[in-house]
Amino acid sequence: MNILRWWWGLLLAFALVAIGRAFLPLPFANEVLIFSIYTMGCNYLLGRVGFISFGQPAYLATGAYGAGFYLFYFGNNPYLGLLMGIAAGIVVSLIIGPLFVRLRGDYFALVNLALAVIIFYLMQKVLADITHGDNGLWYLTSLTSTPILDLTRPDQFFIFAFLVAFALWAFYKYLDDSIFGALCLATKINEDKVKFLGYSSFGIRLFAFVIANTTTAFAGAMYAVYLGFVSPAITGAERAADPVVVTILGGVGTLYGPLVGSVVYTGMKDVLSKIIGNWELVIGFLLVFIMLAGEKGIWGSLAPLLQKLFTRDGKAPDRGGSR
Amino acid sequence: MSSRDEILAVAGLNAAYGESKVLFDVSVDVSRNQVVACVGRNGAGKSTLLKTIAGFLKPTSGTITSDGENLVAKPAFAIAGMGIKYIPQDKKVFSDLTVRENLELGSYASQDYDWVPVFDYFPKLKILMDRKAGYLSGGERQMLMIGRAILGRPKMLLVDEPTEGLAPSIVMHLRDVFKELAKKTALVIVEQNLPLVCAIADKIYAMREGRIVAELKERASIKPEMCEQYL
Amino acid sequence: MNTQLLISGIIFGLSLGGIFFLMSIGLSLCFGLMRIISLDQLLYYSVGAYLTYTIGLLVGDVWLGVIGGVVVAAIVSLLVERVVFRRIYERDLPFTMITSFGVLVGGVGVIKYFWGLIPRPVPVPIAAQVDIIGTDIPVYRLVIIGVAVLVYLSIWLFLNRTIIGKAIRAGTEDCEHVEGLGINVYRLFTITFIIAGGLSGLAGGLYAPLIMVDPQMGLEVLAFIFMVVIIGGLGSIKGTLISSLLVGQVVSLGSLIYAPLAQMAPFAVMLLILLVKPTGLFGSALQKR
Repeated sequence: MNILRWWWGLLLAFALVAIGRAFLPLPFANEVLIFSIYTMGCNYLLGRVGFISFGQPAYLATGAYGAGFYLFYFGNNPYLGLLMGIAAGIVVSLIIGPLFVRLRGDYFALVNLALAVIIFYLMQKVLADITHGDNGLWYLTSLTSTPILDLTRPDQFFIFAFLVAFALWAFYKYLDDSIFGALCLATKINEDKVKFLGYSSFGIRLFAFVIANTTTAFAGAMYAVYLGFVSPAITGAERAADPVVVTILGGVGTLYGPLVGSVVYTGMKDVLSKIIGNWELVIGFLLVFIMLAGEKGIWGSLAPLLQKLFTRDGKAPDRGGSR
Repeated sequence: MSSRDEILAVAGLNAAYGESKVLFDVSVDVSRNQVVACVGRNGAGKSTLLKTIAGFLKPTSGTITSDGENLVAKPAFAIAGMGIKYIPQDKKVFSDLTVRENLELGSYASQDYDWVPVFDYFPKLKILMDRKAGYLSGGERQMLMIGRAILGRPKMLLVDEPTEGLAPSIVMHLRDVFKELAKKTALVIVEQNLPLVCAIADKIYAMREGRIVAELKERASIKPEMCEQYL
Repeated sequence: MNTQLLISGIIFGLSLGGIFFLMSIGLSLCFGLMRIISLDQLLYYSVGAYLTYTIGLLVGDVWLGVIGGVVVAAIVSLLVERVVFRRIYERDLPFTMITSFGVLVGGVGVIKYFWGLIPRPVPVPIAAQVDIIGTDIPVYRLVIIGVAVLVYLSIWLFLNRTIIGKAIRAGTEDCEHVEGLGINVYRLFTITFIIAGGLSGLAGGLYAPLIMVDPQMGLEVLAFIFMVVIIGGLGSIKGTLISSLLVGQVVSLGSLIYAPLAQMAPFAVMLLILLVKPTGLFGSALQKR
């Protein structure tokens, strides 16, 4: 019975997503899924570890180009491309992590953004020979069909993305409920006390850093496979706002925030960009508005309300970890 | 006690740091030129009480009034402007500024450029005028903090553990300073040094775990042994 | 590399450093006093540039445009301080950072609305060149350097010789103590914020003739400003000066050696410095307000 209680939130959320698929256009659904995976990394960093990163596009690009290079130069298998992207993410995180994680929160944010710009520059100009600069690398037509789920077909890609997202969400929920999750939160709140307890706050942060950014890289690799090409635009400074906005929009530190935020954000973008050309105006003011109004975001504000509803109905309350 | 004598009235004060409650239903009153001491163990809430009166922490409920004005709604600098000065226990002065500049800031805020009283109490400061405050010893810093605070002839000083960590000779000096100050200024002093407190206080409040547990008003009953039972 | 190239590279680097300095001072001061990272300074930079363009066009005098740019940038920063930051000073760093980022992005949107996407050219007010050790140096670049030096001296005088400046310096150490004296710290915040906004506007206005004025200009310099501020250490004026000069030279001389690397060299320098000193060259340890 306990197991069911642990899973019921996840099952419900993803059941909703599956149902939504019936009503929403396929590209939208795919975009939302990938984007929410992208946001998940940022959400974890900010909400659980207390690090704000304006440089998530850097890790997105790492995964995207990791997959892209492989698919353009070496092979045709999308699954392998994804693996390459993930590997690239792990490697970069492990190299950069030890340096970045030592920094104070504000320096961390700035340094990550600088990283994103540098990678953009790298891909656009410095390594233009192999990255083809702004033109990007195109390999859509060369991708081979894959067994079980053919990633080259959007509807099957959706199923794949859906399963991946579900697995990732379960993973993060597990992480959150585990000792590690508690340690992360504790480090965020009071680092010294955690050290006194004998844990290495550096190690905790590093581990969280690698996990979060590998998730982001994975999202990048998924973009690379789904779109069939990769270009520096994926890491432009303008896109730095996206994961942060969505994280805040959905609700920082909440489990389902990224999902909710992605749906709303992508939806708004689709609808509004047809009406107003000037999308930044809306994002900017929206962000400020949310922050001033209490920074809880959509799911962050809804979740306590829903919890109250359920307990009043006499149903068993959700475990503290899932929100 | 007539209301004209009363300079501070705190009633039913509750305060919290975020979720953790620190003060429970605290009520104190202070008269003009009275020396009121607040004793208690570490963590009893004494510093929090001073901070809340000074405006650095907003209470969750309760009232704080002085000379008919409600302090709860005011920002801390306005309360200082009213003549209620807070001297924290951290012995911090502006280290990058000289002693002179530290005093200048105090004068600027209060518009009182008469430093004679400050040097009367603390002649040593005159010698240290051009030294960067960061190089002062603990006792000298405390002197500077008090000297800065008395600019503008405040009607009340809220002093948090002034003698903590200071040499006995300086402690005695401060005791004499407080005695002199008390002739014109009300003092609310949080202290662990019981003999000092009993020597100068007109009234003592004992606090434990965020509450006032005793009020000693008779001069005769103000002895260290009486206070100790509340620690 | 011959001397002519070197000299013009150094001067170029100095003027670039001057622009960086004007912008980073604002960020550094705001952090030192208010413990916020005011990313919206890049917005005031853009505002300064755009107003320089528009006023310069209308009036026919670019210098008046620059002055107008500074004034409008300062006004906008005042508005933002009043409406947004005033409510959130006690909140923690990530919070204020995100909010300021929101202001930046939203503000860029407003600029796009009024001026569109097309880059705007601004004529250089002084086209003359002067001969320095056999090299032709644009006088305008020297003017920028001169302005930056003037600003540094003024800020130094302000912080060390005026009472408000001293109060601000005291506030960077401990704001509560300043407030405890009876000084209205919120007014200090506003003053600092307006100074920062005005200086950023000045940077934008001065730099406008040398680059194309477009909505993304703020975001393009973003990374460099960050690197300058990180290398110098948040909150240190001296550090900001030194690191602006440093980054300016690295970018300028670096581009003479190998162009694309010039943009990345400051990043490498920054990483190196952070390895040794995680708070930058002169950065202070973070204390709670």
